Amino acid sequence: MLRIPNFFSCLLIFASIGCDRMPGKPTVATPVAIGSSAWTQSTFDTNCRGCHSQGAEGAAIPLIDAGYWKVATDAQVIQVISHGQGVLMPSYLESNGGPMSAEQIAAFVKGMRSLWGAGSPGGQGGISDVVVAGNADAGAHVFASACASCHAAGGSAGSVTDPMYLKLISNQGLWSAIVYGRAALASPAWNEPMPNHPNGLTPTEVADVVSWIAQARPVSPANNQNASNAK
Amino acid sequence: MNRDAIIKLLKQPVQWVEERTGVIAFSAPLLTHHVPRSAKWWYVFGSATLMFFTIQIVTGVCLGTMYAPSASNAWESLRYIDEEIPLGWMLRALHGWSSSAMVVMMAIHMLQVFMHGSFKYPRELNWITGVFLLLTVLALAFTGQVMRWDQDAYWGLGIGAAIVDRVPVFGDQMRALMLGGPIIGGETLNRFFALHVFILPGAAIGLVGIHMTLIMKNGISEMPKPGEIVVPSTYRKEFEERMHKTGVPFFPDAAQRDMVFCGVCLILLVFLAAYYGPFGPGGMPDPTLINTNPRPDYPFMWIFGAVSLLPPASETAIMLISPVIGIAILVAVPFLSNSGERAPSRRPGMMLLAVFVVMAIVALTWEGVTSPWSPVMNGWSALPTPTQFVKGRTPLQMQGAVVFQYAQCRNCHELGGFGGKRGPALDEIATRMSPDQIVRQVQQGGGNMPAFGKNLNSAQMTAIVDFLSTLRPANEPDSTIPGAQLPLPIKSPLTLNEPFTGTGVPAEIATGASSR
Amino acid sequence: MSDNTNGETKKEGCVGCGCGGGGGGSLPPVAAQDARRGFMFKFGAGLLGIGGALAAVPIVGYIIGPARSRYRNEWVDLGATTLFPSGQTRFATFLNPIRQPTDGDAAKTACWVRCVETGKFQVFAINCAHLGCPVRWFEQSKLFMCPCHGGVYYQDGSRAAGPPPRGLFEYKWKVEGGKLLIDAGRLPGLEESV
Repeated sequence: MLRIPNFFSCLLIFASIGCDRMPGKPTVATPVAIGSSAWTQSTFDTNCRGCHSQGAEGAAIPLIDAGYWKVATDAQVIQVISHGQGVLMPSYLESNGGPMSAEQIAAFVKGMRSLWGAGSPGGQGGISDVVVAGNADAGAHVFASACASCHAAGGSAGSVTDPMYLKLISNQGLWSAIVYGRAALASPAWNEPMPNHPNGLTPTEVADVVSWIAQARPVSPANNQNASNAK
Repeated sequence: MNRDAIIKLLKQPVQWVEERTGVIAFSAPLLTHHVPRSAKWWYVFGSATLMFFTIQIVTGVCLGTMYAPSASNAWESLRYIDEEIPLGWMLRALHGWSSSAMVVMMAIHMLQVFMHGSFKYPRELNWITGVFLLLTVLALAFTGQVMRWDQDAYWGLGIGAAIVDRVPVFGDQMRALMLGGPIIGGETLNRFFALHVFILPGAAIGLVGIHMTLIMKNGISEMPKPGEIVVPSTYRKEFEERMHKTGVPFFPDAAQRDMVFCGVCLILLVFLAAYYGPFGPGGMPDPTLINTNPRPDYPFMWIFGAVSLLPPASETAIMLISPVIGIAILVAVPFLSNSGERAPSRRPGMMLLAVFVVMAIVALTWEGVTSPWSPVMNGWSALPTPTQFVKGRTPLQMQGAVVFQYAQCRNCHELGGFGGKRGPALDEIATRMSPDQIVRQVQQGGGNMPAFGKNLNSAQMTAIVDFLSTLRPANEPDSTIPGAQLPLPIKSPLTLNEPFTGTGVPAEIATGASSR
Repeated sequence: MSDNTNGETKKEGCVGCGCGGGGGGSLPPVAAQDARRGFMFKFGAGLLGIGGALAAVPIVGYIIGPARSRYRNEWVDLGATTLFPSGQTRFATFLNPIRQPTDGDAAKTACWVRCVETGKFQVFAINCAHLGCPVRWFEQSKLFMCPCHGGVYYQDGSRAAGPPPRGLFEYKWKVEGGKLLIDAGRLPGLEESV
């Protein structure tokens, strides 16, 4: 006879205490703090991942890469995110029609550096992250010895002097492509071994080669403007 | 005190009440009325529907004690019930899950009645009240979704308003009547609140009363047997004789099955509610937060699916007329055939129809859930180009891959299994289209694709076509038509292994070879 | 309410004047009683009908009020025209001029402003012309896309793809004192252009 009251008292306890700890109880939604790693990751996943993925995925410079954050400075990354870059990097600043405020962009860059920067404050690695004007004539020689074996017109890795390609990439973009490379796609960074340059290129050689490649670009106001913006 | 004395003590007040009310004399026949001996497990779904309806009333009244039916704080009050009120979330979960369960049980009940031909003479009005109950319950489900007053509710109302607005001549007035004004706002929520807690439950209770009275009057139908034909002139007399001879009292013979089934349902309901929790509320009902993906609740997902598949030219007519026709057909069912065979095996056409309707609703619901027609709004910025489409590409092709993302192609096209499903997956596009065909498609659009001609410059177009022309499985030839003129200089794509050694370093670099 | 009381007073007035009440003295013959009952029934039904109709007027009027009211759109300030650079499409929000105290956030409204060239605008309603879902602008492909049923529009608002039967709804606009104003209020619908 005691079983039934026991059962009901169990049920009562279950109802008053247990039920409110069931898995179905909605968790109190705490807004993700701007600048937190969760916020940074989700912002990246929504807005950047499509092009700037990690490893071999994605077609643009991978941002999840300690090598990138070693060279890149916060100021330059903020500049590119805020105002876009070349033809294909959109501007994300609100006043440019983008989704983020200046504070959010600054917090985002800081967050990315703490997530993927491996403690580097940026601006290291022996080369600037902003394109520097070089000597095109000198660049022609550098290209012929270091780059042409793969990147000449018809080369195995594809031409970088294709005017259509150059219309889509700014000098800053060329600079970044040479400086950072794509390790996962076997494209060397600027200071890694290249044909006839076992220790890679010097910063001057990078600047020269960018200037030489850029000469093949059909004149386009947009690119000039972007190149000057970057400076 | 001995046992008899206790019983006597208990009996006294009961007799006192019975003498003055006759409640036992009235309800005993209801409980013990004879039902067919063959009425077994097929007959439990109506009872389960009624049980869930009871749950809805109880939990609904409970929620009514806390819910603030005002557009300015309905959403906050739901959050408050969920987060602050002890077991408030559980009440909301029970109400939500029980609502879904009621719709499901009702659908099964209706299907069973249809398949067993139980709507035939003399139970035509049982069926028709059932149809109106179905409509009432669906209306309760829709208005209940509005009560959540989140983004889905707001834009769901918008969809409803846009459909009503398409009514010729009176559309505008009908929309205003529905919304309580020219916009979706405070008055809208309160109108739907009045419907959800007063008008529709009242209507449902009344209809349930009629439905039950008709069951008492006409009895429960027997399990259909092939050859047992319903003849209206003799059916009632024969049925009553059979009940008298072979029937069993509803309580407890038939009721025990209802009790078992309802008990199982109830326990499942509590577990579902405890485990999965309440539905919503979703995002704040702020119409300026447009990063939203409005979807209706499950009972309406098939309608959501259907309206996106209608041909634009006739969709207004179909949207407005098909519900009327659908309801008319449902009401007409018992008039179209109210006598004759009831057994499913003797009504193959009807069975096919039932199977077709069920399959259509399931298929449309699936379409609605997956929404292949909807662009993946952040696909372009969130879904990376898969490795196999990036490896071994030339700089121009890489830029083409970026243009592919940049121009939001990914929102409607899949690569590597991720992306929109509005357009075809492009993993193997180079085997289906030649570069000049791709150029034409991208420039001019067509086949439900916008024209990108004005939005992509020549370099972007060249790059994207160069990239797309590499999208094919290894070892498969491209679709270039022999002798066709290529409008653009398309280079043949590199295969994966050609420029690389096994170490992932280009052969030239690894071996130190140089052409210059 | 006033109609309702009128109905009641009328009823009372009639009873008071004696047409419905019985006279004093001895009981009239049964036949006369029956005849009067017939009259009384009809009279009662009539009175109830009139009273019911009178009471129904305010109730029905109250319910269908929104359908009859003439809500007026008003000119709404979207801010300085400099917020909308030439050649670009920007998101703008405003408080709906037709609003009630209990609307809460629902009174907020969004729209897309396209500055075709300096001083020339197109202001699009956020609502897809198909079933009213909020369309989103994609600057890169110059398209509006709808998340519900895949309606797509070009930058000038014309239909590009999907089920919409027409282009995006446009607000009337004017520039006054360096500010962009739009004629807003009603939820846009197919029958009209906002």
